[in-house]
Amino acid sequence: MALTGLAIYKLLPKTNCKECGQATCLAFAMQLAAGKAGLEVCPHVSEEARETLSAASEPPIALVRIGSGPGALEVGSETVLFRHDKRFLHPTGIGIIVSDTLDGELLAARIGVVNRLSFDRLGQTYGVDLAAVRYECGDPERYLTAVREVAANTELNLALMCADPDAAARALELVGDRRPLLYAADAENYEAMTALARRYGLALAVRGRDLGELAALAEKVVKLGHKQLLLDSGARQPGRVLADQTQIRRSAVNKRFRPFGFPTVCVATGEDAVLDTAVYIGKYAAVVLLDTADPAEILPLVTWRLNVYTDPQKPIAIEAKVYEVGNPGPEAPVFLTTNFSLTYFCVMSDIEGARVPAFILPVDTDGTSVLTAWAAGKLTPEKIGNFLNESGIAGRVNHERLIIPGGLAVMSGKLQELTGWQILVGPRESSAIPGFLKQYWSQ
Amino acid sequence: MRFLPDELEIEAGEGESILELAARVGITLRGACGGNGTCGRCLVVLRKGAVRDRDGGTVAEAGATVRACRSYPVGAVVVEVPETSRLREHQVLGADVGLTLQAGEEAAEVPVDPLLCRVEVTVDLPETGEVVDDWGRLQSELAGLAGIEVRADLEVLRELPAVLRAEGGAVTVDLAMDGGPAGSVVGVQAGHAAGPVYGAAVDLGTTTVVVELVELDTGRTVGTRGTYNRQAAYGDDVISRIIHAVERSGGRRQLQDAVVETVNGLLVELRLAHGIARDAVRVVVCAGNPTMSHLFLGVDPAHIRLEPYTPAANFWPPCRADEIGLAVHPRAPVHLLPGVASYLGGDVTGGVTACGFGGAGEITLFMDIGTNGEMVLGDGNWLVGCSCSAGPAFEGSGISCGMRATDGAIEQLGVTPDGYEVVYRTIGGGRPVGVCGSGLIAALAVLCCAGVIDRTGRYRTDLETPRLRGRDAGGGFVLAWAAETGHGEDIVLTGSDVQNLLRAKAAVYAGLRNMLAAVGLEQDAIGRILIAGGFGRFLPLRDAITVGMLPDVPLERYGYVGNSSLRGARAALLSGRRLAEIGATARKTTYLELGDGTQFMNEFVSALFIPHTDLGLFPSVREE
Amino acid sequence: MAVKIVRERWPGKVYEMVLGRRPNTVRVGGDTSLPFIHFEGEPKKPVVALEIQDIEPLGWPEVLWAPFAGLMSDPVAWARRCVEYGADLVALRLAGVHPESGDAGAEAAAAVARSVAQAVDVPLVVLGCGMEEKDARVLPVVAEALEGYNCLIGQATVDNYKPVAAGCRAYGHSVVATSPLDINLAKQLNILITEMNLPPERIAMDPSIGPLGYGIEYAYSIIERKRLGALMGDRMLAPPVICLVGEEAWKTREAQVGDTPEWGNQARRAVLWETMTAVMLALAGGSIFVLRHPESLARFQGRIDVLMQPQLY
Repeated sequence: MALTGLAIYKLLPKTNCKECGQATCLAFAMQLAAGKAGLEVCPHVSEEARETLSAASEPPIALVRIGSGPGALEVGSETVLFRHDKRFLHPTGIGIIVSDTLDGELLAARIGVVNRLSFDRLGQTYGVDLAAVRYECGDPERYLTAVREVAANTELNLALMCADPDAAARALELVGDRRPLLYAADAENYEAMTALARRYGLALAVRGRDLGELAALAEKVVKLGHKQLLLDSGARQPGRVLADQTQIRRSAVNKRFRPFGFPTVCVATGEDAVLDTAVYIGKYAAVVLLDTADPAEILPLVTWRLNVYTDPQKPIAIEAKVYEVGNPGPEAPVFLTTNFSLTYFCVMSDIEGARVPAFILPVDTDGTSVLTAWAAGKLTPEKIGNFLNESGIAGRVNHERLIIPGGLAVMSGKLQELTGWQILVGPRESSAIPGFLKQYWSQ
Repeated sequence: MRFLPDELEIEAGEGESILELAARVGITLRGACGGNGTCGRCLVVLRKGAVRDRDGGTVAEAGATVRACRSYPVGAVVVEVPETSRLREHQVLGADVGLTLQAGEEAAEVPVDPLLCRVEVTVDLPETGEVVDDWGRLQSELAGLAGIEVRADLEVLRELPAVLRAEGGAVTVDLAMDGGPAGSVVGVQAGHAAGPVYGAAVDLGTTTVVVELVELDTGRTVGTRGTYNRQAAYGDDVISRIIHAVERSGGRRQLQDAVVETVNGLLVELRLAHGIARDAVRVVVCAGNPTMSHLFLGVDPAHIRLEPYTPAANFWPPCRADEIGLAVHPRAPVHLLPGVASYLGGDVTGGVTACGFGGAGEITLFMDIGTNGEMVLGDGNWLVGCSCSAGPAFEGSGISCGMRATDGAIEQLGVTPDGYEVVYRTIGGGRPVGVCGSGLIAALAVLCCAGVIDRTGRYRTDLETPRLRGRDAGGGFVLAWAAETGHGEDIVLTGSDVQNLLRAKAAVYAGLRNMLAAVGLEQDAIGRILIAGGFGRFLPLRDAITVGMLPDVPLERYGYVGNSSLRGARAALLSGRRLAEIGATARKTTYLELGDGTQFMNEFVSALFIPHTDLGLFPSVREE
Repeated sequence: MAVKIVRERWPGKVYEMVLGRRPNTVRVGGDTSLPFIHFEGEPKKPVVALEIQDIEPLGWPEVLWAPFAGLMSDPVAWARRCVEYGADLVALRLAGVHPESGDAGAEAAAAVARSVAQAVDVPLVVLGCGMEEKDARVLPVVAEALEGYNCLIGQATVDNYKPVAAGCRAYGHSVVATSPLDINLAKQLNILITEMNLPPERIAMDPSIGPLGYGIEYAYSIIERKRLGALMGDRMLAPPVICLVGEEAWKTREAQVGDTPEWGNQARRAVLWETMTAVMLALAGGSIFVLRHPESLARFQGRIDVLMQPQLY
């Protein structure tokens, strides 16, 4: 179990020597407790303390790498069950299944569709991560052809869904250097599959028929000297997958059960695989393999993954742009505030309460409140002036009057000089906005 | 430029506003906005002459009322400064006022071992054939006496030969110590009749500056005086002052001059009152928050305010009085107590050390609540500290009916449950003119208990009482009718006031919760809570718990430690060992930056409720 | 190899709310476990409402409008169609009382609500226009007109909860307590409402959700924290959670933009946008879902049925 900062502090030298870069031993202990620092930077820690602490600071889930080169997919090393406790670190890898029963143009078309599953959001590109070639036809030659076609025509990382070690071995002769995910070792084939994974340095999926078999199998594979594993409990019924995923994560994080100290892989094959995949992304899957390539379905999925893996510790900030309350016309007042969501919501609801349609301009202050932003120099007249220009508000109103929060009264003069707008100092509290509007805006 | 009714005159410089001129002659005007022309509190009446605005535009003529910060004299000008525009006189909180300490809570007694001691020695004058120099003789005499190594100040050596021989080798030596193993001779006078030597302990507060003059060899306090920090003309809070120092040309100098002049004024008053010569004051120790320390020394404070909030220094080298213009002996060493981080300074490290914090190994919480709520938690071995921005509400600022704790301030009140009638007590017993911090806390508590405001601080709309007027910003609850008050206007606590107070109390409690969370402790683990500072003195503890500002632990765990900043400065003045201990406190205190992440906001929002969203944290309030 | 199953022991539970009239009552909440986790307690099935409005809505895309073509000017007929589609509840949004959308009076709104309540067997959720002052005047009158129907009425906010909650208390309804995305503000509103003697089993918490791609992660974590709080015994976090998914999901660009090669077919995309938002918030711990499209309803119910099959160890 994780130790508190104070418990760690008691094991440290308490010299406050600063050599670790922190001002005090307690500050360092808190960094250790938060997983933000490693024990190696403390030159004076005793051997005994080192043992106690390194056991506690070892990550509960291994980091596993699929693929080679800079585009490789890293999964695992998660430390919590709920994203509000600490950020989920490595976004789930989404793999699209390509069947080897397709050939010729159909296969080429399928690969083309998979390659195009990439979407632009807020200036970043997000897409799927893996092309998973599934051995279905029973003919190793045909599988080899499909693997060759897929490998030649996509830059995505690869997965080989092939439980036949011979077929897999032949495919790996072609694509082993791309370090595909090898799916999956089971009770029957694990020795041969482990040998392949070891030879090529691959991430190896391990599939049991239930949690018990999975744990035993994982232990055996580790004993054979391979530690780049992904766990599959074999469940396919979504409720069962959810239960198994929960057990694996809890055992790893809360109980430090080593056979489950690996990321997991799920295969979504049911009637509504997209929604099942979404559930698995929310609940702990490190890789999901699914059999749809419809952009109308993959776009929501990729979006959901992006949302789940954002940092919950960041303040809730809203986008800095012009917002409308009611249906503001060109005469409507313009309120300035910050993009901290609570601040914005207060201003918005109080303007709504005043029943005066208006524009709100929330300046990007990294999601901090008016006074915090002002105190930290994140809300300067220059910044407000720039935002006023960039927001395009001038084109939407027929006046040049800006209402600023009362807390910013001190900068009204400078702001006026800088922008040429008339600056009205509003109330310090948003609750006073209705009264303020009644008194000043009608004039 | 002449100021009435003070009859003070000053030559106006180019581009100097009336506000700045007033500050120079020693009249401190109110100026919450920092001279930006937005708060309208620095009004003066033009009696003679004319003024222009900054651009040289509009001219106001005699008879007009103008904002001093936005008005510049044209030729000879006479203005009258009304009482309402001045910062009022106020009570001085000395180091030992109102203490409620338990036995042993004063830091363990240490022998008086002041930072400067005056010793009388007689040095054998050299005879023919002897080759030991004058300084060598004095040095070995002192080493034998004090048992330490001593260094000389060049100024001393310049005059030493004559001084040593003036009275046949009898001299009085001023030996400065700094807690370390060596001392330095900073003054030598002929003979053995120099009289006592004094030191000054200074509390450099953002709002108030207090000086305590101490006789060094006995440790006796000669006198204590305090007044408003003249920097107030440039803004109420440290942030406004940093902005002034950084963004106005010459601003840093203005602020340094203002605070040094404030200290000098107090020193002069004290010396005159007690017949002490300037040169008899030979050492100074100042305790202030980091911003005040920077400004006092004339150091660039810009990065205190900007991420990642870095002070120029936490430990300051001692400087000489003449380097910063303090009106004491020009070569008197001036020490500033060391701080921890940008918002946790020597006022806190000194205070924590001087009140024997955690001496018994008990987990102790130290709280100094003003514009910033500074807190330190620990057991003496480990210490964590934080500073939360409570805003000026507790100082009576930013509250429409708020005022400082002076005559006429409502300091305690109650509301009858049936008729919503208000009973109150004012400081000095006269007619009320406003409400001070302690009264505001009491008001919040009683209005909530009487159901006039709900737990979110919103006024109920359906009460049958003329005291409740609307619920928007202009409305509020009438605490005192115009007929009862000293200024003939209703004293009203508005809805915005309540929200401001709620935020201030929430910031304090959220800071505490964050600190407890950082070390993984529950509030009940706190064995002792030491409250420091002016606002703490009259703070109704029970009400402060009821509104959820202070932790709900038995009242007997609370103690009041007075002006701990001044106590820290005095303790260091009288003991080099204490000064070293304060340094140790500063080094081992772990500063928590509350601005980081969402955890503080989460605690803050849950504290924006009376008493708290988690009622389980306030069991005694729930029982009520 | 025997694996030790990790079971949490939860001391608390989600309050159970009963809506509607016998024999057609609907039970909401009452969970004693995390959502869809059957091996350590009893998860409950989330219920779904389809949304109707008192006036014909403007700006709904055709994908959304088509399943109700010809019915949307008649709230009663619209409501009946929702029940035919399989909705557990009908949610009536009183958009027409908003001053900018007709400014209908309280009596008129109450009459519409009553006629809908009389026309369908399933319980009714009634939501005001969202303007706090107007809702404060309208909703108590609606509550009175619906006496005996045991409805869920909202939205009560920190600024208007008193009249809204008082109306619900007086006429036997439950209340939707709406707060911005913040767990503490939600809890504070629950405290305020329960202090008016409306018991917590008659409160549904509305966390002002954001849809997929537009802040769903905040809602997800807040709902998850609420469920954990409830299970750990915090009574003021234990009322069931209502998620107004439809109106948020259909506002998004992804639901509004027509077919494109990059984004695929609009209907499939838009319905999935709504459904996925709902399923994910159910996974976090939501109990009541208000959706707009009948296909979303069917698809949501399909997944919920699968996840509600008990999986034990």
